[in-house]
Amino acid sequence: MDMAAHHTEVGLSKRKRQLKWSNVNVQKVVVTLTFLFVPLFLLVLFTYLPFFKMVQFSFYDMKYIGARKFVGLQNYVDVFTRDDCFNALKLSLYYMVGSVVQLALALLFATILSFNPKGGNFFRGALYFPSLVCGIAVGFIFKYFYTHGFVLDSILGLLGIPEDMLPFWLKDIRINNWVLVASSIWRYMGQNMVLFIGAIASVDKTQYEAAAIDGANAWHRFRYIILPSIRTIVVLNMILAISGSLSVFEIPYVITDGGFGTSTYFVLMDKLAHANQKVGLASAMAVVLLVLILLVSAVQKLAEKKLDSGIRTSKRRARK
Amino acid sequence: MKHRILALVLAGMLTAAATACGSTNGKTSKNADAKPTVAYKDMQVGETATDLKADLKILTNRTDLVDSDFQDYISEFNAMYPNITITYEGITDYDTDATTRLSSGDWGDICCIPTTVDKSELSNYFEKIGDYGDFKDTYEFADKQMFNNEVYGIPTMGNVSGVVYNKAVFEKAGITELPTDPETFLADLKLIQEKTDAIPLYTNYAAGWTLTAWDAYISGGATGDADFKNNKLVHSKDPFAKHDDMTGPFAVYDTLYEAVKQGLTEEDPTTTDWEGCKAQINEGNIGCMVLGSWAVPQMQAGGPNADDIAYMPFPISVDGKQYASASADYCYGVNVNSTSEEKTAAMLYIKWLTESSGFAKTQGGIPIVKGDAYPDSLESFQSITLVTDNPAPAGEEDLFGKINNDSEISLDSDSTHVASIIEAAIGGNQTMEEIADEWNAAWTSAQEKNGVTPE
Repeated sequence: MDMAAHHTEVGLSKRKRQLKWSNVNVQKVVVTLTFLFVPLFLLVLFTYLPFFKMVQFSFYDMKYIGARKFVGLQNYVDVFTRDDCFNALKLSLYYMVGSVVQLALALLFATILSFNPKGGNFFRGALYFPSLVCGIAVGFIFKYFYTHGFVLDSILGLLGIPEDMLPFWLKDIRINNWVLVASSIWRYMGQNMVLFIGAIASVDKTQYEAAAIDGANAWHRFRYIILPSIRTIVVLNMILAISGSLSVFEIPYVITDGGFGTSTYFVLMDKLAHANQKVGLASAMAVVLLVLILLVSAVQKLAEKKLDSGIRTSKRRARK
Repeated sequence: MKHRILALVLAGMLTAAATACGSTNGKTSKNADAKPTVAYKDMQVGETATDLKADLKILTNRTDLVDSDFQDYISEFNAMYPNITITYEGITDYDTDATTRLSSGDWGDICCIPTTVDKSELSNYFEKIGDYGDFKDTYEFADKQMFNNEVYGIPTMGNVSGVVYNKAVFEKAGITELPTDPETFLADLKLIQEKTDAIPLYTNYAAGWTLTAWDAYISGGATGDADFKNNKLVHSKDPFAKHDDMTGPFAVYDTLYEAVKQGLTEEDPTTTDWEGCKAQINEGNIGCMVLGSWAVPQMQAGGPNADDIAYMPFPISVDGKQYASASADYCYGVNVNSTSEEKTAAMLYIKWLTESSGFAKTQGGIPIVKGDAYPDSLESFQSITLVTDNPAPAGEEDLFGKINNDSEISLDSDSTHVASIIEAAIGGNQTMEEIADEWNAAWTSAQEKNGVTPE
């Protein structure tokens, strides 16, 4: 081979390559795409694809196995005409009330812990701990916790309440949903609290001193300094808590398996999909729930915006 | 430009993901044409193809035996077939979870066919084991998983439906004669409550699947009619309605309703404990439980008092005569997607399990091979007529399954309907008649959906 020709060829392609690679933008795109590929692939595979499949299934009369039959919107009609679907949604009201209590408690603990009380780190860890336990395990813990004559009853017994005066926590339909809500609060409160602590840490400390000089007490400090500063985080947690209470699953599923009037929307959906093999109907239920959650979040966001602009105008007025 | 590239990559990933998970489907099975090298009926276990090499995976509902009895079976079988390796996987919530697994096609080689599979779907998931004619004279219950006279499943064993009880507790309560009608049964439960510390009837509400046992009593046992389940139940109007002579499905469920309502069951059903109940009945803390005959050996093994555990027919008499349903437990099916070697090995193992392992007798069930000895626990059934449900007529094999699913009552496969009886009896918000009305309405609309005019 002619050495010279070879040489120029190599030089040429090298220059071409250099031309390509020296372009920072091209490099950026390639690197970004390479890094993005894995998470996006997983996201598509495990989130979007199943989601599209589910939407597709919701138009069919189908079991897990066997032939499918296209039925159009019949499943959606069923969701809205069956009385059990929306009755199950009513149970979400219990959990919504619970989520208000949960956020209030989280705010309380977060505020207290933000002022470095004695043993603050221990309590922070202890209160956050339930969020680290897997939901199924939490279910089993509370199943035994509430069993007649077990943990809760023994504790109340030590306080002097005789066992035969205590109700059956899970069997009594007047209280069993509240009892489940209580476990749900125990499980998720710590997570909200940690988020609030983080937000409170970003509040400028000098404001407290200034307020103290003006004679503000602890409640004033919370009401007029902390709460306005962390409002965005509070609202975000509220949206999460409300949409979470529409889709409660693990706690009633494990503790009562939906028995004695504790069957939430998700538990019912699971029963229809798996025990009754009505996959299409259950998929339609899931889509309806998704739309509901989107609606709820939209309404909340809208209210938030209204509130925001309201505050801004009142501030402007105050300045004037 | 960047956006276009990003869009392209996204689209690429979507297709990649789609192909990654959309390829398995029961119908596009890769080995549907692979047949076992020897037909099941011609297999001589221990002589046929002893050098066969295969890896078998078995899905089973018997989680309690995976590490004990099944391991013994494997080593006994391996003495004849050293090159066949067998692994068991136990599944607790069997019907539901196994159905989901089946739809993937790649679940193993042998499984207990879930009750949710329609008969017409059998051939899409399971290898044909033989024609009904091959088994009619030699095997019991060979028609359980059959479509068009083709057998797709060999029963693990047969079950008699009765009540497992503690003899000592019954004696202590002064019960000398076993009850034969619901009224006497309830009176006896009351005696147990008054005279002993035992819980008269334990529902096993919390475990869920245990409640489906009640469904086994409504056909042959409560009617004495072998055509009831696959024929009359499917075609008759309001099958759950009350009969004046207290027979039929209503009588069975009403017994449960009344027992719970009169406080003859455990205080708090939400926290019952399946594993714990075995020791409790064995030690005399429970009077009786309504479970199939398979439960007897497990209750005997639950504690030191194996001799106290006995089995009696369900207390319903039709025209003064007591019947008991005898039916097949789960059936072994062979994966249609397995290779020819795996199918051969699987059938050899199933044949050995059925004919030589003694599984049915150890587990308190009716042996599948006709003429084999019954277990001792079924002694009290000698005077009772055993009723085996007749198969559905040709063309209607699927009908019971379809109506059953569409009605959402899900007899035999889901426990929610039985649980609702217990809940209503405790809450007092519904009578058994009202529950039966609801079921009848659901059953009727499911019948209509499937083109059956209830008569």
